[in-house]
Amino acid sequence: MIAKFKATTAATLLALLGHTAMASAEVTVEFWHSFGGSSGEALAQIIESFEAANPDIKIDAQEIGNYEDIVTKLQAAIPAQRAPDAVIMEVTRYGLFADRGVLKDLTAYVDADPLKDDLYDYAREVGIYEGKNYIVPFNSSTPVLYFNKAIFTEAGLPLDTPLKTYDDLLSAAQQITAKLGESGITGIAAPGQFARWGLIMDNDSDLIDSVSGDILIDAPGTVEAYEFMASLVHEHKVASPDGVTKENNGRDAFLAGKVGMMINSTGNYGSAASSLGDNLAVLPMPCNKVCSVPIGGAGIGILTTSEKEVQDAAYKFISYAASPESNALWFAATGYMPINKKTPQEQVAVTALAEQPGIDVAINQLGFARGRPRPPVVTWMRASEYDLWQAMALGQRDVSEVLSEFAESTRAEAERLKK
Amino acid sequence: MLRRLTPYLFALPLLGFIAVFTYLPIAQSINLSFREWDFLSPTKPFVGLDNYRLLFENRAFWNSLYVTLLFAVISVPLRLVLALLIAQRLLRETVISRVMRGAIFLPSVTSTVAIGVVFSWVFSTDYGMMNGILAGLGVGKVTWLQDPTIALWVLIFVNTWKQLGYDVIIYIAGLQAIPPELYDAAAVDGGAKRHVFRRVTVPLVMPTTYFLLMISVIEAFQVFTIVDVMTQGGPAGATDMLVNMLYRVGFNLFDIGLGSALAVILFVFLIALAFLKSRIIGRKVHYEA
Repeated sequence: MIAKFKATTAATLLALLGHTAMASAEVTVEFWHSFGGSSGEALAQIIESFEAANPDIKIDAQEIGNYEDIVTKLQAAIPAQRAPDAVIMEVTRYGLFADRGVLKDLTAYVDADPLKDDLYDYAREVGIYEGKNYIVPFNSSTPVLYFNKAIFTEAGLPLDTPLKTYDDLLSAAQQITAKLGESGITGIAAPGQFARWGLIMDNDSDLIDSVSGDILIDAPGTVEAYEFMASLVHEHKVASPDGVTKENNGRDAFLAGKVGMMINSTGNYGSAASSLGDNLAVLPMPCNKVCSVPIGGAGIGILTTSEKEVQDAAYKFISYAASPESNALWFAATGYMPINKKTPQEQVAVTALAEQPGIDVAINQLGFARGRPRPPVVTWMRASEYDLWQAMALGQRDVSEVLSEFAESTRAEAERLKK
Repeated sequence: MLRRLTPYLFALPLLGFIAVFTYLPIAQSINLSFREWDFLSPTKPFVGLDNYRLLFENRAFWNSLYVTLLFAVISVPLRLVLALLIAQRLLRETVISRVMRGAIFLPSVTSTVAIGVVFSWVFSTDYGMMNGILAGLGVGKVTWLQDPTIALWVLIFVNTWKQLGYDVIIYIAGLQAIPPELYDAAAVDGGAKRHVFRRVTVPLVMPTTYFLLMISVIEAFQVFTIVDVMTQGGPAGATDMLVNMLYRVGFNLFDIGLGSALAVILFVFLIALAFLKSRIIGRKVHYEA
């Protein structure tokens, strides 16, 4: 009995020691991201297959919130020395973190990685700030125009109704609201910030000039675009104010079949398709004056505070996440655009392209898609814009007056951040 | 020697805790309010009173101060009056009043975020329950959270609903401490109910009122979660309380110096208010019947 006890104890100790030795060889990468729901499941699948292929690396993935939440939490975590090792950063907001030395320069990693030749040009470009590579894109998107076929039919709008200009959008939204307003259906979702930026670019303007870096918030084309967007809510009442004070409300109402049209990231394709099924239609962004769409989404960066061994492991994961296999899985599950030139040849992607109508719209827009500037002030500008949009959309303040003040304060902030 | 030190040694852990988690952050905030920092830069240059000057020149700061004062001036008396009236009704030890006390207290122990989310949907313009009820009565849609003249009232309502239970329970305790002989004497003298309430109950429950006043004013000036979940300070700054602005300036706009200056102003303001209250109202509080 005693001999048996000794043997069991010895075996247990050996197993424990073995496990401890294995655990100590393991590198853990703390990774902050912003994906829940079906996107979160797809990411978990990618992480699972990465860990199976790299048993010595563990990815501790944590969903933090939206892009804005990540910026806020990261900013607080850095002085507290609680920052993660890798983080998803939105493509216009990472400049500040690169500028302040928080993000590691990944140029050497990318240059040594065969992946660099497989990435689309646009995908390479969005990761570069001041000539250096700070993030590798993971989820890239452009805004697209979603509409609900059942609502269009019920409102007496043909499915091929032209939706190319501001006037087209307004006219369709007015017809839907007039015909179906009493049953709680509105014409269009109030545009979120990404859609607003897209509609400004469609109007041949911008918020910041992508070449010179000039602030264009008070440019005539930008003012005109904001006037149109605000009028949808407070003047024409074809967009619900609920989507102004909380941007996700507009999207949620569209997914619930309560809104006729929505301009939003192609990353919403997966949830829209599962909510609306065959009633979902996807069109390219309108081209009011020109055809031009912003490239959005995010990439993964590595923090300078992590140890070299962890940084190497993190880059290994980043590279794996951008590989054709992972990217195809991600594309098919979410609708985010392929970033790898080999992705469309993957069987998963081939099937998605054949069986999911509209998933290719964002890809087809790439010809006129543009990366946006990402100087440090963009993070401040985007955080400040929400309140001002509310004031304009709810008709509380004059659009040109608001934008003129906003442009001035953004220029002042840009100067302050340069110091 | 050890005997003399014993009480101090017992107090030491708590003093250490308060020093680390209260006084040190206060000192750090005061220090940061004289500096420029974005949380990311390695240096924190000294800028003197610049942050305070910028705040006083900032229209949003004066708006936040006004909104916060308005919130406090309306919500605090509302809470106290309602709580005292309800407490009077629930004073008797019956099954119904016990159940009612529990029901009224329940929101106080419910997550503020959950309450904010639920009420956001209740007051949603196009899909909300409140407008659904109004539509049933033939009344048009009300933009509860988008109209700057209404949004603050909605927040006051939700905050009162959440905090009322706590005030009621404290008031019940206060009312139960009033000696019943005083009511008997008033009855013998033929005092009307309203008169007895004004002349006996209100003065004798004053210590409780004073305590609740202190607590609720501080709470009103520090309200954040409800605002953050329901309106984020909007529409167009109509519900932008001081703490909400502090969070936005410090954590969304990367100006921790300015945010700290705002925190220091709030701190000084609350201390001044507490001092004023103790000078004006404190003298009228009698702790013995």
